[in-house]
Amino acid sequence: MTSQGVLRKQTVSTPSAARPRKPGRGGASRTPSHWWVPWAFAAPGLILFLLTTGYPLVRSLQISFYKWSVLPTQASKFIGLDNYVRALADPQFWTSVVNAGVYLLMSVPATVALGLFFAVLLQKKMPGRTLFRVLFYIPVVTSWVVVSLLFKFLFTTDNGAVNWFMTDFLSLSAHAVPWLEQRWTALIAISLLGIWKNLGWCLVVFLASLGGVGEELYEAAALDGANAWHKFVHVTLPGIRGTLLFVLVLQVIGAFNVFPSVLLMTNGGPAGSTEVPLTYMYKQAFSFLDFGYGSAMSFILAIFIFVVSFAQFKFFGEKKEALR
Amino acid sequence: MTAISLKPKGSREADNPSRNERPKRPLNIWLLVRVAIVLCGAVMMVAPFMIMVSTSLEPNTATLPNPPHFLPQTLTSANYEEAWTENNFAGFFGNSAYVSVLTTVASVVISSMTAFAFARFDFPLKNFMFSLLLAGLMIPGIVVIVPQFVLAKSLNMLDSLEGLVFFYTAGQIAFTTFLLRAFFERVPRELDEAMTVDGAGILRKFLVLYIPLARPALATAAVFSFLGAWDEYVWALTVISDATKRTLPLGIAAFQGEHSTAWGLVFAASTLAVIPVIAVYVAGQKHLIAGITTGAVK
Amino acid sequence: MMKKLFTLSSLALLAAAGLTACDTGGGGAQPAAVSTLSTGAAVSGEITFWHAYSAGGGEIKALEKTIIPNFEKLHPGVKVKAVQIPDKDMHQKLVTAAAGTSLPDVIRADIVTVPELAKIGVLTPLSEAMPDFQSWADKMFPGPLATNKYNGKLWGLPLDTNTKVVIYNDEALKANGIASVPKTLDELKAAADKVGGKYILAEGGSGAWQMLPYIWSNGGDMTDPDVKKSSGYLNGPKSVAALQMIVDLYNKKAIPGVILGGSGGTPTGDGLPKGMYPTIVDGPWTFPNMATSYPNFQPKTSPMFSGDGGSVSVVGGEDIVMTQQSKNKELAAEFIRYMLSPDAQKSMGQVGQLSAEKDMAESMASIQPYYGAFLEQLKTAKPRPATPQWAKVDDIFTKQTQLALQGKLSAQEAMDAAVAQIDPLLAQG
Repeated sequence: MTSQGVLRKQTVSTPSAARPRKPGRGGASRTPSHWWVPWAFAAPGLILFLLTTGYPLVRSLQISFYKWSVLPTQASKFIGLDNYVRALADPQFWTSVVNAGVYLLMSVPATVALGLFFAVLLQKKMPGRTLFRVLFYIPVVTSWVVVSLLFKFLFTTDNGAVNWFMTDFLSLSAHAVPWLEQRWTALIAISLLGIWKNLGWCLVVFLASLGGVGEELYEAAALDGANAWHKFVHVTLPGIRGTLLFVLVLQVIGAFNVFPSVLLMTNGGPAGSTEVPLTYMYKQAFSFLDFGYGSAMSFILAIFIFVVSFAQFKFFGEKKEALR
Repeated sequence: MTAISLKPKGSREADNPSRNERPKRPLNIWLLVRVAIVLCGAVMMVAPFMIMVSTSLEPNTATLPNPPHFLPQTLTSANYEEAWTENNFAGFFGNSAYVSVLTTVASVVISSMTAFAFARFDFPLKNFMFSLLLAGLMIPGIVVIVPQFVLAKSLNMLDSLEGLVFFYTAGQIAFTTFLLRAFFERVPRELDEAMTVDGAGILRKFLVLYIPLARPALATAAVFSFLGAWDEYVWALTVISDATKRTLPLGIAAFQGEHSTAWGLVFAASTLAVIPVIAVYVAGQKHLIAGITTGAVK
Repeated sequence: MMKKLFTLSSLALLAAAGLTACDTGGGGAQPAAVSTLSTGAAVSGEITFWHAYSAGGGEIKALEKTIIPNFEKLHPGVKVKAVQIPDKDMHQKLVTAAAGTSLPDVIRADIVTVPELAKIGVLTPLSEAMPDFQSWADKMFPGPLATNKYNGKLWGLPLDTNTKVVIYNDEALKANGIASVPKTLDELKAAADKVGGKYILAEGGSGAWQMLPYIWSNGGDMTDPDVKKSSGYLNGPKSVAALQMIVDLYNKKAIPGVILGGSGGTPTGDGLPKGMYPTIVDGPWTFPNMATSYPNFQPKTSPMFSGDGGSVSVVGGEDIVMTQQSKNKELAAEFIRYMLSPDAQKSMGQVGQLSAEKDMAESMASIQPYYGAFLEQLKTAKPRPATPQWAKVDDIFTKQTQLALQGKLSAQEAMDAAVAQIDPLLAQG
C-alpha cells in the first residue's frame, strides 16, 4: 500500500526561511500502514514532553490567576488578572525588562557579529584550524555556574584580573572599578560573559552553514569583479540568511532568559538595579512565596519573547522575498 | 567585519587560498593576518581559563596576585586533593557522569523515535504536536519550575538522580527531535522504497536505514544532551537536597558559598568539571558541525 | 543519664501537656502527635534534619562526627539523616519542599524565618507537641526564645544564638593613626575624618542585619514594639540620622563598597585580617573562620559603637523546629532534645555556635575566650522585628538603604519610601 507512492514534490512553498526544501512531503508512502504506527514511535517522546512541559505550563498559567498558596492543603484565592496588572505597574519588573534589553543590545549583536567574523576567518584552511575551533567552543560547553563564578572572580574589585588589565596594564582608569557593585558596570560584566560564552556557539553554527554556500556563487561574483566585502554582502549573507535568522532568534530568546550568570554574579543587586526578569521572578516565587505573581511575570515575558521572535521571522522572511 | 574588507580588492584567490595548490607570496601575508586575528580571539577565549587553572594549581592565598597569574608560580595539587577527597568532589563527579550518560542514552533513543514519526509519516495532529514541541523550545525553564517540582514530587523523583535523568531527558526532547527530524527527512525516499520492495517492515527500516544514515545528527544530539545534563544547575538546585546527590554545578556553587575566598579550591573543582565536557566535545566535534548543518540549520 | 533526666521531667509535665493538647482542634496531626510524644520512650526509625551549618569552621564535622553518632548510640537502631543546605539556598529549599510536601522532620531554621514557616503552616508548634516543652523554654534566654513566637504560640526552641560586636585589627588602626578603637558613633565619625579617605569600617551589606545596630544604638527603631507599623520609627529622626551617618561615611570612602552587597569586593572577614578594613561588626563564627585562613591574626573585640540608644546590637541565631509533615515526631522530638542537651551544645560551642541556654552561658565563656564579648553584648541586643513578612520587609529596607548609599535618594526620602511599602505588609501580619 505504501510502496507505490512515488509522488514527490520538490517545490515547497513554506513561508519560513529556515526550511528551503522538504522532499517527499505529501507522498502516498507517508501514510502509515496502520494508524497507530507513527503514534507508537512518537508516543514516548510526546508523553514525556506533555507530562513535563505541557502539563506544568497549563498549571503555571492557572497559578498566575491565583494568589497561590504554597501548601497543597491550603486554598488558593482566584484573583483574575490582578497578578498581571500588578506586574505591569511594578517598576522593578520594568527595570528587570530594561536590564534584559540592555543585556540583549550589548551582547547579542556583538556575539553574532564576532561569531560570524571568526567563522569566515576559520572557514578557510589555516594552521591549527581544528584547535582554534575547539578553543572557541570551550566556553560554550562549560557550565554556566563555572563561568559565572570565574567572571565574578575576574571582575573582583580588589586585585581582580580585569581591574589589573584596566588600571595597571592599559592605564585606562586610575582607581579599581567596582564592576559588580554598580548597575551599568555590572551589566557590562554580565554582557561580556554572555558574549564570551555564546560566541563559540554562533561560530560553529555559522561555520556549518558557510560550508553550504555554493562555491560557484563566489566564483561567479569574482568574475563580476566583486571584492571580498561585496562577496560577503551579496553571496555569503544571503546564502546563510536562514542560519542568521536561526542564530539571532535563539540568541534573543537566550538574552531574555539570562539567569544563572546574574544570579551568581550580582543576584540582582545593588538595590535591584541589575535584576533581570528571571532573577526577579525567581525571587518573587522562592523568596517571597508569591508563585502567582512569579508565574504571571513569566507569562508576560513569554508573550514578549514570542512577539519578538515572530517579528524577527517576519522581518527576515520578507527581506528574503525582496532579495529574490 | 572590518577585517573582511581588509582583503585585497578584486583578488579572487585571496578568498579561497585552500583551493590554490600553491599560494602566491602576498597571500601568505593575509594568511598571517588571519591567523593573527584568530589567535587574538582564541587568546581572549582561553585567558580566563588560564587564570582559573593557574589559580587552582597555586596555594590558596588570602590576597589575589596582582598582576593575575596566567601561569602558576608555585605548583601544588593541594586544592585538587582537598576538593576530590574532603569535599566529596569525587561523588559529585560520579553523580554528574551517571546522570549525563543516562540522559544522553535516553534522549537519543526517545527523540530519534519521535523524530522518525514526524519525518516519515503523515498523521492527524502532527503539525499541532510539532508546533507544541517548538513552543517548548521557547519557554524559559523557570516558568514551569514550580508545577514541575510538584510533579517530580508526585512521581517520587525528588532527591533522586534518576529523577534528574527523567526531567533532563524530557527537557532535551524538543530540541533533539527538532534536530533529528530534519535529518531523517533528508533520507532519500528511493532507499526507503527499495527496502519496501525487499519486504522490510517499518521497524527494520528505522533501525537499518534511518538510524545509520543519521549518525552525525545522533552524535550531535548526544553531545548536546550530555552537555545539557552535565551543565544544568537551576533544576538540580531545586530538586536535590541530599548533599551526597549533588551534581558538579551544585557542588561547585555550594563550595563557593562555603569558602567565598578559597578560589583555588573552587577552581580546582571547576577545572575537573570542565575536562570531561571538553573531551566529549572534541570527540564529537567532527559530527557536530555536520549535525548542525543538516539539523537545526538548513 | 541524660535520658533518665528527660524521662523524669517529661513525666512531671505529661499531665499539663495533655491538657494543652485537647484544645488544638483544627491542627491536623497534633492531637495524635501529642498523645504519643512521650519522652524517653523507645524511639525508632529514621528522621531527616536540614541545617545550614558551615563546613569552614568545623560545624559540620561536629554534627556528623560527634553529635549524631552519639545520639544514635544513645538510641540504638535510630538513624538521623543530616542534610546540609547552603545558607543562601535554605529559604528556597524550604519553600519548594513545603509545596511538594517533602520537608524534613527537623529543621535548623534562621530565627527570622520561623514566623514565616509557622504562618504557611508547615511547622508543628513545639509548645503543644512536646510535653516537656515548658522545661526547655525555661532554660532559654528570653530574647532568643521570643523569636519562636507567632500567633500566640511558640513554634520552636532556640538552638543557638549570637550577636555582633566590633571586631578590630589593632595594627591597621594604629597604622592609620587611630590610637584606640572607636567606642561610640561619634568617635567613629571622628576617626573617619582623621584617616581621611581610608577605610575605617566595613559592612558586608545594607540589610536590617547590618544597619539595625546603628539605628538602635543611635536611639532609633524599625517598628513599634508590636510590629504593627514602621512609620514614625524607621523614618523617625534618630533612625534617619543613623542611616545618614553611614551614608556620609560611605561617601567619604571611609566604608568600602562591599556594603552594597559584596559582589566583587573583599569580604569583611578577609579585609579585616589583611588590614584593609580596621574594624568590622560581626559574629562569633568569624573567629574559627579567620583562625583557619589567617592563623597569625589576632582579632580584638569591642562593644557595638554606642550612641543615644546605648550600645545595641542585633540578635541572630537559629531555632530548631519540627515540621507538620514529619512521620516520626517522637524521634524528631527526641532529637531536638538531644540537640539542646549540654553535650551537643558544648560540641557546637567549640566551633563558634553560642548556646542560648542560661545554664550554658558560663561554660560557653570557658570554652572560647572571645565568647565573653558576645555574651556581654547579648544582654542589650535586640531581635529583628518578628513578622511572617520579614523576607519582604528586609528586601524593601535593603533596597532603600542602597538607594540612599548610591545618592539616588536622601536618607529621609529613602526611609519614607520604605515605610510606605513596609506598613501595608505589617498590617497584613
